[in-house]
Amino acid sequence: MLRAIGKRDRDIFDEEWPEKRKIVLKLLRQETVSQLEWQDLFYGVHNVCLWDEKGATKIYDGLQQDIVQFIVQAQSLVQAQRGEQALLATYIVEWRKFFTQSNYLPLPFRQLEQSPQVKPPASSSASSSSAGASTSNSAAAAAASSVTAAGAAAGASSSSSSNQASSSSSSTTKASTSSAATTTTGGGGGASTSAGAGSNSATSASNSSKKGPTDDSPVRKLMLDSWNKHIFHDIKDRLQESAMKIVHAERNGDAYDAQLVVGVRESYVNLSSNSEDKLEIYREHFEKAYLKATADFYRLKSAEQQQENGVLAYMKYADAKLREEEVRAKRYLEPSSFNILTCRLVKVLIVDHLNSIIAECPALIRDYETERLNLMFRLMDRVLDGEGVEAMMGDLQRHIKSAGLADMQSASEIITQDSEKYVERLLELFNKFSDLVRNAFNDDPRFLTARDIAFKMVVNDTSVFKMDLPTSIANRGVKYTAPESKCPELLANYCDMLLRRTPLSKRLTSEQIDARLRDVLLVLKYVNNKDVFMRYHKVHLTRRLILGTSADSEKEEDIVEWLREVGMPADYVNRLARMFQDIKVSEDLNTQFRNSISRHDAINIKILNAGAWARCSERVSVSLPIELEDYIPDVEEFYKKKHSGRKLQWYHHMSNGTITFVNNFGRYDLDVTTFQMAVLFAWNQRQHDKISYENLRLATELPDPELRRTLWSLVAFPKIKKQILLMEPTVINSPKDFAENTMFYINQEFAIVKNGKSQRRGKLNLIGRLQLSTERSQQEDNQSIVQLRILRTQEAIIKIMKVRKRMNNAALQAELIDILKNMFLPSKKMIKEQLEWLIEHKYMRRDDDDINMFIYVA
Amino acid sequence: MADDGENSVDNRATDDSKPEKMFTLKKWNAVAMWSWDVECDICAICRVQVMDSCLRCQAENKRDVLGRQDCVVVWGECNHSFHHCCMSLWVKQNNRCPLCQQEWSIQRMGK
Repeated sequence: MLRAIGKRDRDIFDEEWPEKRKIVLKLLRQETVSQLEWQDLFYGVHNVCLWDEKGATKIYDGLQQDIVQFIVQAQSLVQAQRGEQALLATYIVEWRKFFTQSNYLPLPFRQLEQSPQVKPPASSSASSSSAGASTSNSAAAAAASSVTAAGAAAGASSSSSSNQASSSSSSTTKASTSSAATTTTGGGGGASTSAGAGSNSATSASNSSKKGPTDDSPVRKLMLDSWNKHIFHDIKDRLQESAMKIVHAERNGDAYDAQLVVGVRESYVNLSSNSEDKLEIYREHFEKAYLKATADFYRLKSAEQQQENGVLAYMKYADAKLREEEVRAKRYLEPSSFNILTCRLVKVLIVDHLNSIIAECPALIRDYETERLNLMFRLMDRVLDGEGVEAMMGDLQRHIKSAGLADMQSASEIITQDSEKYVERLLELFNKFSDLVRNAFNDDPRFLTARDIAFKMVVNDTSVFKMDLPTSIANRGVKYTAPESKCPELLANYCDMLLRRTPLSKRLTSEQIDARLRDVLLVLKYVNNKDVFMRYHKVHLTRRLILGTSADSEKEEDIVEWLREVGMPADYVNRLARMFQDIKVSEDLNTQFRNSISRHDAINIKILNAGAWARCSERVSVSLPIELEDYIPDVEEFYKKKHSGRKLQWYHHMSNGTITFVNNFGRYDLDVTTFQMAVLFAWNQRQHDKISYENLRLATELPDPELRRTLWSLVAFPKIKKQILLMEPTVINSPKDFAENTMFYINQEFAIVKNGKSQRRGKLNLIGRLQLSTERSQQEDNQSIVQLRILRTQEAIIKIMKVRKRMNNAALQAELIDILKNMFLPSKKMIKEQLEWLIEHKYMRRDDDDINMFIYVA
Repeated sequence: MADDGENSVDNRATDDSKPEKMFTLKKWNAVAMWSWDVECDICAICRVQVMDSCLRCQAENKRDVLGRQDCVVVWGECNHSFHHCCMSLWVKQNNRCPLCQQEWSIQRMGK
């Protein structure tokens, strides 16, 4: 220090530099530099800058000369290499060395940053902070300790050398603090200098966390720029080419040295002098070349692969290569390039072969090749516009539809007769396809939608079986019918079999029944005409409740809630719920009734709420046998005492009972309807007489169709060997063929036959399917469905228009379908007709200017 | 499909005393429906059938508690009938029958 002051009049640069230059050269050549020399360099630089105004510039110029000289040497070394690989290798070795040094060499020259002549434009104003100072200290320490190690570590990657530096930094902290102390005590301006250095490193640290403390140093910039100018600029094309050749060799499976490619990339990234966009050079040269090389490589390869091994093998190849290239990209490219590369690869490997790949899809679906389909799906899912996935969805949809329908048609003989078989077959089909979607397409929502659309088509198909609904009530005579799937009816029948005491429901456990009911609801989801299901389900429920044949009343109520959950209209579900409540009320009433009058032990009464049960069902008059007639006044009197303001109507077509039948052969309990009872009791007075049809009608006062049906159930009850009633003439094929003078008589030889043997005792159910309303033809039944739909449609249109006031046709139709879809799918024709009807009746009108605009008329 | 699944054979019956009649009644499950004894089955106030709960009760989703229907029917002296719920709100504003404008007085109430 004193020495420096003493010689202040002499040119301090000339005095200091030759010594210091030797250290610099050693550093450049990565020769061993002792700690003393390292510190001496700091001191020398500081000294020159302190005492010589132009010291900084002089040092900078001196450094430049040395660096350029060093680079030129390196260049000649690299250029001397003939072979590409050797060129690349030499370059990388030299570059690595140089790049490592570019992290350390600038450290002693921090002081230059203060000089306006050499100050880099990027360094902005910054506040000095102790944290910044400590960063600079530890960085200096790391540098100091690893100068010697740097030479050895040059071959390794830069990250490992920095690790090394930080690990050894603690041991040499003392040395660095002492060097910092030296600097601060160096003179009057010492304190401010040190603070300046600290602030500078603080700004650079805040610029980017990834950058080292020397990133903004002018010396470093000088080093990198010089390298760029003298070596890289000349040979970068060759380097790049060689690198691509290596990648190419690697793709072909040849031996390679990945580090060479990495080194080239690093050169590109680190040599960028554009501090705004560090990756500019990299992107424009290296990335571009890499992308092109990749695309070219696979364009050739993919065509070759497909031709040689076929499309299926090619899919595997493409998938493997996509993964392989992703891994490779992680090695050779900056993270910002990954997506671009993937896009390019997808284009070359998949999009360019889209059609030939997709062409395989139908066959794969047909053969349930879930693994391959999954592979195809994964490939197609990479394509951005989704074209491939869409094509696959279309294939899936078509397959489910055609396979489903083919399956149904092949089994049409069984399934049209047996709702159990039908539903089970359908569910089997659905499960199969759902498995396919799960295994092949990972339950991707797009494919689930495609599956649902196809299921809908299968369920609502009318080719296997259908019911014909009249399209309009108005022209009743004309047979316009719109066929609809019979599926909902069969679903309701199946439900009934599960909920009623049947061989099926007895065979299954409670859990199995639950699972099947859930399945039914699943299928129901796809059914368009849900109102048909509701209708049949309600009829079945009514029968079960009135006959008391439910297998499990808890399940009955469960399914009502489930129906609510799947979105059945609330008023419908509420009505079902009301029926349950009503049955309970009626049971209480029956108990009270039986307690009140002890002699009526043979009668049970169900007095039900007409609002919940009897909508649109007519009553049938019948002349009751005296045994039954006697009960009526007692019941009515009892009820009048309990309630007031109510009227009772007897629904004898719903009531039923058990009678004991005694003949020559044995004694049997028969479950019969009240109508059957009325007919049979006619023989009580004349056991062996033959009674004509005409006389039976007079005796029972039953309407003609009811009497015919009742008699038919007694002369030709299905599946029993011996019938209760016999007739003359004996050959009559249908109830329509009964004539006024057809004679009927009791079969005195009647017996229940079991296992081919006639039994003397037994119980037989002759009720069959309890008739809930008067005999109506299927056509009338279907008409009432249509009638209800018309009302629902009108109701929904008014509901919408009341809120919207003004609405155009398309929007109205969309909303209408949304409201009605849980009941049925209104046809365009029906909507149009009902709109016209509502306009005609002045509920709404068309806009004068726009024929498609409707206006609500209050 | 026939419901013959429930047919069972009972050989253990030991009753040998022969009844005179060929058919004797053992059990009768009689079914009847009740409804309010009204001339018009739609409540003129809420436009819902009197057999159903009135609009207000439906909206509040009141459940009939075992037979005690909350939403009963009421008859005036004029013999017009309405939901009791609807009418009790109506008379607060206007103590006349909505259909015939006679002064409203209750003749009887459904039970």
